Amino acid sequence: MATMALLRSRVSSFGALCCGRRDISFFSNTSASNWSKVVSDAEKIVGYPTSFMSLRCLLSDELSNVAMHVRKLVGTKHPLLNTARGFVYDSKNSLQMRGLVVLLMSKAAGPSTAAADLLQQDMVSGIYPSQRNLAEITELIHTAFLVHRGIVNLKEWTTSDGPLKDMQFGNKMAVLSGDFLLANACTGLAQLNNTKVVELISSAIGDLVQGIYYENSSSAEGNSPSDDVTLASWEEQTFLSHGALLAKSCQAAMELAKHDKQAQGIAFQYGKHMSLGHKMNSDLQPFVKGSYGDPVSFSLNSAPVVLHRHVVGVESWVLQLQQATTLGRQVDYTKLWRTIKAGKGVTMATDLCRNHGNKALEAIRFFPPSEARSALENLASAVTKF
Amino acid sequence: MSAARPPRVDTPLLHYAIPFPAEGNMAPPWRHCCRWTAGNIGVPSFINAVCGAVMMVARREGAVASLGVRGIAGTKATFANRPVNQPASRISNTLLRSNFRLLNTTQNVCCFKNLHSDAKVKDPFMLAQKDLKNLYDDIKKEMFVSKSELKALCEYYFDGKGKALRPMIVVLMARACNLHSNREGDLLPGQRSIAMISEMIHTASLVHDDVIDGSDKRRGKTTINEVWGEKKAILAGDFILSVASMALARIGDTTVVTVLSQVIEDLVRGEFMQLGSKENENERFKHYLEKTFKKTASLIANSCKAVSILVNPDPEVHEIAFQYGRNVGIAFQLVDDVLDFTSCANHLGKPSAADLRLGLATGPVLFACQQFPELHAMIMRRFSSHGDVERAWQYVMESDGVRQTNYLAQRYCQEAVRQISKLRPSAERQALIQLTELILTRDK
Repeated sequence: MATMALLRSRVSSFGALCCGRRDISFFSNTSASNWSKVVSDAEKIVGYPTSFMSLRCLLSDELSNVAMHVRKLVGTKHPLLNTARGFVYDSKNSLQMRGLVVLLMSKAAGPSTAAADLLQQDMVSGIYPSQRNLAEITELIHTAFLVHRGIVNLKEWTTSDGPLKDMQFGNKMAVLSGDFLLANACTGLAQLNNTKVVELISSAIGDLVQGIYYENSSSAEGNSPSDDVTLASWEEQTFLSHGALLAKSCQAAMELAKHDKQAQGIAFQYGKHMSLGHKMNSDLQPFVKGSYGDPVSFSLNSAPVVLHRHVVGVESWVLQLQQATTLGRQVDYTKLWRTIKAGKGVTMATDLCRNHGNKALEAIRFFPPSEARSALENLASAVTKF
Repeated sequence: MSAARPPRVDTPLLHYAIPFPAEGNMAPPWRHCCRWTAGNIGVPSFINAVCGAVMMVARREGAVASLGVRGIAGTKATFANRPVNQPASRISNTLLRSNFRLLNTTQNVCCFKNLHSDAKVKDPFMLAQKDLKNLYDDIKKEMFVSKSELKALCEYYFDGKGKALRPMIVVLMARACNLHSNREGDLLPGQRSIAMISEMIHTASLVHDDVIDGSDKRRGKTTINEVWGEKKAILAGDFILSVASMALARIGDTTVVTVLSQVIEDLVRGEFMQLGSKENENERFKHYLEKTFKKTASLIANSCKAVSILVNPDPEVHEIAFQYGRNVGIAFQLVDDVLDFTSCANHLGKPSAADLRLGLATGPVLFACQQFPELHAMIMRRFSSHGDVERAWQYVMESDGVRQTNYLAQRYCQEAVRQISKLRPSAERQALIQLTELILTRDK
């Protein structure tokens, strides 16, 4: 009870930051309710949700310290503020989707015959404690990079955006809290007592960094439209930034239960295609939902745009981009949106999304039928629906 | 050294958590000379306690000399990483007057020279050289990155221009432990990896620290954040850490993974500790030493422990390695904190009094605060008012803060020497002893 009271006070110190509603739902309204149902059904299967390690972090002195300091950022434009809001308000928006998939995968694979030294009675809802810890570590790493993604380049900050001092302070908090989460992930990993898993997850962290690094550089200077992004390199980068962590965590969950290489491969494939499908789906949202009246915004690196570029070729793309650019050098996204919608990019991206969803489904069919497997299938199917 | 000695004063019984591993608490009344100024007489404050603590060590050194090499009897908790502050020891009748000249390094050596004579003294740098020769190249080989710019960022500080102090200590400790364990001195592959990992973890933390502190210079180079921006700097630090963590896993020893993962946690917790100031003066000093352990010494201590684990199953050996690293690490940082006041700007590769500018009260300031209570308010507001930095610097210079911090560093080094002397004699062991002198006498 004392813990809950403490938690409430800590959460409210984050909650105090929230001056506006944040809506980052990945899915349009109709599919969102479908997704929520799939997720909440899946959570029941794994016994209890994944948030225990995150809870421990949230309750730590260090993070409550940050929460206190982050209050000072209210009213500034530092991205950490939005990320912090997300800790409290986005719990329904599949923030912990990765942990959930790891748990479902662990359960779907079941106990291994080779795992003589693992005690079956330690399992809760068919999941080993180490696998639960892994699921939490996966979430910690994901969250750490949400925080580190929000670091601001101070030289790009102009005084009209607000005082530089606030940004410096926000950066300091973001570096520290991201590092804190990563450090907890490291000690958590060490406690799994499996160096193969440590290596695998560490490599996933490296992948994630490389993916985010690419994301950054291509959204800043790399947006030079003349760069011909090949589909293969784009998929590779997207795997690094959005797929590697889940794929490798799923694989590691198999390793923890001493499942063989084949099972590890299946888990990896599911995690990889599931995340890529998920990413495609969210990239497609601005193009599949909504009427013409809504203000549109999308990343020029999102799947439909990249595919569109690929189809029309570099020259036409440069031209289209010029046509959509106003005199003030601002890109008129509504105009560009119409151009892209008229092309084949959106259909191709939708096909690709379905393709990833299907590959995830194919992979998971190697496991025996079970409630957990069905839940994984439902998740994979939900990703292909718009 | 002032010729005029302040009067002798007996201070009351002290209860203070001391920063040294306390083996016993039967400290006999023992008089020790420590220079003290009249203004502070009778104030039972942390300086008294620190000097008292230091006495404990001196006393135990005497014990070591007479007992010879002895195990750390009764210390069952050797596996756990010890917190910096050990249970309080009672020190009675401390007389705080000191002649620092008496505490020179010959005294350091005299307490164990009668145990055994080590092989011919070699420069620690020379002795570790063959193991460190390709260190930076090997680190670069660990970092496979497709993106060339990220690669450039990650390799930026592995240019061979750093002191490579951590790898050097690790390598020497590994060899000393190997010889202690009846083996050849040559490094095991895992030990060599730990030398690399220690430098990588250190570098990753520097990169992040520079963003946190907004530094634009490091080792005479423009910092990564200054050249490429904060976003990329943070990612580069994260990447180096992930590579270090992979290399660590590949050693294949779960205990070693646990020991070095603790370092990563300590580094972050140490950084968090720097955010706050303590109102209470005793707590403030304790806080400072604990922060120093976490931010600097933990990496050295746990790397030393890790290389000992790989060759010797005896927890007592692990503890010796850990304690050597811990004491040397804290001494190193204390000297660093002194140099921040005494070294001129271009020498250290960063501007002097940088810590004050960052709002940090280090050893010299904390000691100076004893003589100049005016500093207290400045410490609490983290030197944020106009002119605080200059005033504080002036106070420190007029106080004994610098000397007292140096003195404390000396005592930590003596404890390090006492610890390492429990290992079998070897050229590497001697080099580790010699290293403590180099740490104390370095001027950059």
